[in-house]
Amino acid sequence: MSAVSIAAPSRARRRLPDYTPWLLISPSILLLLALIAFPLLFALKNSFYFWNLQMGPAPMGFIGLDNYRMALSNGMFLGSLWTTLQMTLVGTAIEFCLGLAIALLLLRRLPGIKLTRVLLIMPTTIAPIVVGFLFRYMYDPNGGLIPWLLTSAGIPLPAAGLLGSPSTALWAVLFADIWQWTPFFAIVLYAALLAVPGEIVEAARVDGVSPWKQLLYVKLPLIRKTALIIVMLRFMQIFNTFDLVVVLTKGGPGTASRTLGYSLYQAGLVDFNIGLSSAMTWMMVIIVNAIIGLFVFFAFKDWD
Amino acid sequence: MEGSESATGRWLGIAAMVLLLLVFIGPIVWFILLAIRPAETYFAMPPVLSFTPNWESIRYTFFDPGNNAPQLGNSLIVAIGAVALNLPFSFPAAYALSRYKIRGRKHIMLWYLGLLMAPPVAFLIPYSVLASMAGVKGTYFSMILISQTLTIPFSVWLMRSFIDEVPIEIEEAARIDGAGTTTILLKFILPMVMPGLIVTSMFAFVFSWNNAAFPLVLANRSTTTLPVGTLQYFGTAGVTWGFIASAAVAAMIPPMLIFLVLDRYVVRGLTFGSVKG
Repeated sequence: MSAVSIAAPSRARRRLPDYTPWLLISPSILLLLALIAFPLLFALKNSFYFWNLQMGPAPMGFIGLDNYRMALSNGMFLGSLWTTLQMTLVGTAIEFCLGLAIALLLLRRLPGIKLTRVLLIMPTTIAPIVVGFLFRYMYDPNGGLIPWLLTSAGIPLPAAGLLGSPSTALWAVLFADIWQWTPFFAIVLYAALLAVPGEIVEAARVDGVSPWKQLLYVKLPLIRKTALIIVMLRFMQIFNTFDLVVVLTKGGPGTASRTLGYSLYQAGLVDFNIGLSSAMTWMMVIIVNAIIGLFVFFAFKDWD
Repeated sequence: MEGSESATGRWLGIAAMVLLLLVFIGPIVWFILLAIRPAETYFAMPPVLSFTPNWESIRYTFFDPGNNAPQLGNSLIVAIGAVALNLPFSFPAAYALSRYKIRGRKHIMLWYLGLLMAPPVAFLIPYSVLASMAGVKGTYFSMILISQTLTIPFSVWLMRSFIDEVPIEIEEAARIDGAGTTTILLKFILPMVMPGLIVTSMFAFVFSWNNAAFPLVLANRSTTTLPVGTLQYFGTAGVTWGFIASAAVAAMIPPMLIFLVLDRYVVRGLTFGSVKG
């Protein structure tokens, strides 16, 4: 071993303890740790106290695990977790499939396709809260564009409007997210597919592999890494959704569109129940970390 | 393959393309029109496409009384401040993660990525209460500081991909000539990755500009940013759609322009540098 390290000069230099990289990285890590650890520890402490900001500016007594019990017992937490999971799984799947279909279209040589590609990304650049306003306007049951289009096409609509009916509210919120983020999948998958070496696809074509199987067994495996990263990103972003819900439905009607993120928002910023919202914060942080952990463990094992 | 395409297939492709533009760009145009519509056409059925532009909403939101004009400035201050504060932290880290094969490099990168996927809503209450306790609630500084949880991880990822492309020979030669790490970073790497640094900063600007969660709890009436300021028209006295659209359209123009300018880097920015595009 020592013989090798003497032979290779670069290895020899690295044998000296070199703290330079750590000196360069640590300021960013220390700042980020401070910005994350403080609020999380603060929330952990508060989660064991009864504290409602409407009643007083300070915690009003240690109550052990009661906040956690309360969050879990009235179905608020588990119900919204289930709502969130449905929305996340369906949303990620639809955005990926639609995005892939659009990416394949963008790869064709059509007049104006480059301009289409440039313009297509615009929804993704808009702040989610603004997308909320945009869709609130277009969903308006009294003269909004979407109900008008649907009724003109002969599709019956719930009397309370798409956002006001329990059976459609969640999916109407999700539709706004799909509108905003399908172009993101389309553009990224387009770029990834463009980088697939032409010879490989050509070889498969010559061997008589159908276009559908070329996509499934040749192209998709080659862009697996890109696809995994954007699927993971979007999965977590939809899972964390709250601002779209604030503007569109406020979780309603009833609990029909109450996502986990909105439950937290409501407990803390509408009801000012700091203790309860802190307990929910910790449960949500644990779940988010578990999901990211699963992704990293299964998808990024052989990464970098 | 494309050459052997039938005329029908070609027309179908063009039809699909037009449909795409209608679905994804149409609503944006529709919303922009809302800002200059006369009020009686907001919800006209069937929808009205031709009307005499009415500048009242824009006048009210940005000029007289112009409640949203200072918010435009606030958004600029917070987003530019967030980018400026992030650079001295993320640039050295990106350099180290690009050049040194340190142990745990992959895990550090994944940790940054994990931060970008953290639920912002989980941190809103603690940030709000802690900022009040520290006496910085309502300041630009509080928003700029908290934005670092987004801008630093994002910039480290994207910048690292640009530094990866700078040939290592130059700095090796400089090192042999006795240059220290600081000199190498500032005199050799910085000028060479300047385009990448600018691209990264512009995307980080959009990231920060579009963030409504932190200003929602940290800003006060006079420091609030434009996307959040739009919420003021969601009051009890009914929704004033022209005002909302006017303020919201102003909030969406800068990110759109930046994405148009950065066209060839869009994929790279959106995937934090992991896809070269």
